Amino acid sequence: MRIIEIDNVSFHYKAGTPVLENVNLNVDKGEWITILGHNGSGKSTLSKLLVGLLRAKQGTIRVANVELSETTVYDIRKKIGIVFQNPDNQFVGVTVRDDIAFGLENLQVPRGEMIERIEQYAQKVDMADFLNKEPHNLSGGQKQRVAIAGILAMETDIIIFDEATSMLDPKGRNTILSMMKQLNDEGVTVINITHDMKESLYGDRIVVLKEGRILKDDTTKVVLADHKTLEKSSLEMLLPLRVLRALEAKKVDNEKVRSYLWQLSLTG
Amino acid sequence: MAIKFNRVDFKYKGDDKKGYLALSNISLSIQGEGEFITLIGETGSGKTTLVQHMNALLVANSGSVDIYGIKVEKQAVKKKKIRLNPIRKKVGLVFQFPEYQLFEETVLKDITFGPKNFGVPEAEAIETAQRVIRIVGLDESYLDRSPFNLSGGEKKRVSIAGILAMEPDILILDEPTSGLDPMGRNALLKVFYDIHEKLNKTVIIITHDMNTVYEYAKRVLVMRDSYLVYDGDPVDLFTTKNIENWNLDVPDILNLMHRMEQDLGITLTSRPRSAAALTNALEEVLR
Ligand SMILES: Nc1ncnc2c1ncn2[C@@H]1O[C@H](COP(=O)(O)OP(=O)(O)OP(=O)(O)O)[C@@H](O)[C@H]1O
Ligand SMILES: Nc1ncnc2c1ncn2[C@@H]1O[C@H](COP(=O)(O)OP(=O)(O)OP(=O)(O)O)[C@@H](O)[C@H]1O
Ligand SMILES: [Mg+2]
Ligand SMILES: [Mg+2]
Repeated sequence: MRIIEIDNVSFHYKAGTPVLENVNLNVDKGEWITILGHNGSGKSTLSKLLVGLLRAKQGTIRVANVELSETTVYDIRKKIGIVFQNPDNQFVGVTVRDDIAFGLENLQVPRGEMIERIEQYAQKVDMADFLNKEPHNLSGGQKQRVAIAGILAMETDIIIFDEATSMLDPKGRNTILSMMKQLNDEGVTVINITHDMKESLYGDRIVVLKEGRILKDDTTKVVLADHKTLEKSSLEMLLPLRVLRALEAKKVDNEKVRSYLWQLSLTG
Repeated sequence: MAIKFNRVDFKYKGDDKKGYLALSNISLSIQGEGEFITLIGETGSGKTTLVQHMNALLVANSGSVDIYGIKVEKQAVKKKKIRLNPIRKKVGLVFQFPEYQLFEETVLKDITFGPKNFGVPEAEAIETAQRVIRIVGLDESYLDRSPFNLSGGEKKRVSIAGILAMEPDILILDEPTSGLDPMGRNALLKVFYDIHEKLNKTVIIITHDMNTVYEYAKRVLVMRDSYLVYDGDPVDLFTTKNIENWNLDVPDILNLMHRMEQDLGITLTSRPRSAAALTNALEEVLR
C-alpha cells in the first residue's frame, strides 16, 4: 500500500535557481528507504516538503491518500514525524522534558500517558537523567538523542530521519539504528537520509539525489554496487567492494577472495 | 610545548545549582607543530569542552592551562589581563555546529572576518577567501550567498573555510566531517592531512568515525565521562584496549582484515591502515 506519493514535484527557494526538479517518488507502507546524495542535492528540502514546512512550486504530494495542502497539513503532521538535521532547529522547550512534551501536546495525548511516554522515550535514547536540563546546554550527541526521542514519542506512522545519527558515538548510533529497525519491523515507514553508506544496509531500497533530481531509485544491492552512480553523486562503495574493485584493477584474480568480498559488501 | 594542561577541572554552571563536571583532572601536552591528533569518546564525555579550553573560549576552574606561554586563568581573563587575540590567531577552532560560527550577511564576509580581525588587508583577505572556498569543495558563487541559506553540509564547509583562511598554527576541528558527503569527507581529510604534512602544522580532529582515526591519526586521545582515559597510538588502542567500554567501534579496515584472516585463513605481512594499503597487502599474499 502506498503511503507517500510524490508526483512531479519541483521547488526553488529563489526563482531561477531550481532546487528540486520533477521529483517522482512513491513509498509503500512499512518500507525503509534510504536517501543518499551529495551536499546540497536537495535531501533536506525534500523532507521539509513532505511535512509541509515548505510548499512545492509544482506537483502534488499525498500522504496516506490525503493531498498535502494548507488545510490538510496539520492532519498529515500527525502521521509523519521528522528529526531535523540540526537538532537546535527542533528545540522549543525550556527543558528536555518540555521539549518532548511539546510534540505530544500537539497530538493532544492525555496527560498521564504523556508523562509515561516522556519517561519511556527519554530512557530509550539514554537521556532520562537529563530531563530537567536545558536542551541548549547539552553536547552535540545529547541534543541529537533528545531530538530523536521527541519524534519517536509521537509514535507516528512515518518517520523521516535527516542525518539523525551524524553526531552519535558508534555505540549510540547502533542503538538508535536498532531502535529504528524495531519500529520498522512493527510497521513504521522509515525514510533515512544519511551520508553513512553502511546505514543504507538497513533498508531494501535506496534513492540517490543529484542536483535536485532523482538519479537512481533501486534496491540497496543494486545501488551499492553501482560504481558510476555513486561516483557521480559524491558517494562511495563500501570497503569490501572498494577492495574487490581495486584488486580487479590490479588483475589479482582469486575466486575465493572475490566471492567473499562480494558477499560482505552486500551484508555489511 | 604550545599547549599544556595540568590537572584541569572544569564545571559548567549550567541550569541547576550543582553544576556539571565536564573535565576531571586532565593533564596533557600538545606541540605547536607536526602533530596529527584525533580526539574521540562517547557522547557527552567532554571533547568539545576540552578543545574549547585550547583557545581560551572556556577557562578551567582549577589546574592550569598554558597556551603559548600564556597562563589562561579565570581571574586574569575576567580582568581582561590576557590578550586573547594572539591566542585565537595561533589556535583556530571550527565549531561542532557551524551555525554557532556563521553570523555575517554573506559567506565572503564570514570568511574574511577572521583575517581582517588579525590585520590582513581587505584585498588580500578576499583573495584568500576565493582560494579557501574552492579548497572546501564549493565554487566562488557561494561567496555572495547568505550563510544561513545553505544546506547543512555547505554550512559545514563554509565554517571550515573560515578557519583555513586564518592559517592558524594549531588547527582544531570539532567533528568537521559529520554532515559531509563521503567524497567531501575524504577530500577534506586529505586537506587537513596536507596542512599537517606539508606545512608541518598541528591538527586536532574530534570525530566519531573510527576509520578517520585509524587511517590518519598519529596520536589518539580518548575521553570518557570527563576523564582523559587514553593518550597514545591508534593501532595500540584498537588492538589492545577494551574499546567497547568506551563506546568505540573497530575500524572497517581492521574489521575486514580480521574477518579475512578468520574466514579465509589469509595472513597479511603488514598492517594496512587504508583501503589502498590493504589492497596492496592482499595482492602480495595472493599473487
Ligand atoms: N553549557 C553547558 N551547560 C551545562 N552543561 C553542559 C554545557 N555544555 C555541555 N555540558 C555538559 O557537559 C558534558 C560534556 O559536554 P561536551 O559538549 O564537551 O561533550 P562531547 O564529548 O563534545 O559530546 P558530543 O560527542 O556529544 O559532542 C555533557 O554531559 C554536557 O551535557
Ligand atoms: N533557505 C534556503 N534558501 C536558499 N537556498 C537554500 C536554502 N536552503 C537550502 N538551499 C539550497 O538548496 C539546495 C538544497 O539544499 P538541501 O538543504 O536540501 O540539501 P541537502 O541535500 O540536504 O544537503 P546536505 O547533505 O548538505 O544536508 C542547496 O544548494 C542549498 O544551497
Ligand atoms: Mg540536509
Ligand atoms: Mg561535542
